[in-house]
Amino acid sequence: MSALSSPPDRVWWKQPLDRVEGTWIAIAFAWCLIMFFMMPYWHVYGKQNLSNEAYRTTPEMFQAKTQAMVDKFKVREETDQKVPVVAPPAGSDVYLIARLWQWWPMLELEEGKTYRLHLASMDWLHGFSLQPENINIEVHPGYEHVMTMTPTKAGTYSIICNEYCGINHHTMASRLYVVKAK
Amino acid sequence: MTTAQDRSLPDLDDEPVPAMQQILDNPFLLLFVGIALPTVLYIVWGVMEIVGIPIAK
Repeated sequence: MSALSSPPDRVWWKQPLDRVEGTWIAIAFAWCLIMFFMMPYWHVYGKQNLSNEAYRTTPEMFQAKTQAMVDKFKVREETDQKVPVVAPPAGSDVYLIARLWQWWPMLELEEGKTYRLHLASMDWLHGFSLQPENINIEVHPGYEHVMTMTPTKAGTYSIICNEYCGINHHTMASRLYVVKAK
Repeated sequence: MTTAQDRSLPDLDDEPVPAMQQILDNPFLLLFVGIALPTVLYIVWGVMEIVGIPIAK
């Protein structure tokens, strides 16, 4: 039997399936089903892939909302760049700007409380990576990504940029503080 | 095993060719489907999703 010549029967569809071919198809199909259902399973239980909630925005609009949050809830400044640290109330919208080359502002959240974290970029693509939790989201200009997050353990976490964004990409790191609920 | 016809000879009868066989025997139809389906399911669907992102309040 050659693949280059036509099948011997005009209606070849009715030729019975060879056992080996049938077994091969069954194994391949079973693997396809495993991979397919792995997608929703990991989405729910994998703790990393987040359902997307996104809105169109502009750098100016997002900057204004972030500045409003900083003006209301700033508690102190940190680092040489005098980045404000904000402690927004539980259940509120929290804004974080990604820009060349910093995260602004720094956030101080309460353990066990839920916040809506909004992420947007002022210039081009950055990668929000919360370590060591390993929560990763791409941050785009023109789009505001929203995550509902509840810090479960107090401590200091790192935010790094994991999408190469230029010469000082490696310096684009920040801290996220989670404090015990007051 | 006997059948109504000797299937080892090329037959010129009117037995209808099943639809699935007609599809799989048509290389240009397969080429079209192989390009059109991924384009619609990935590119077109993706663009529709992106265009439908609401404006931030």
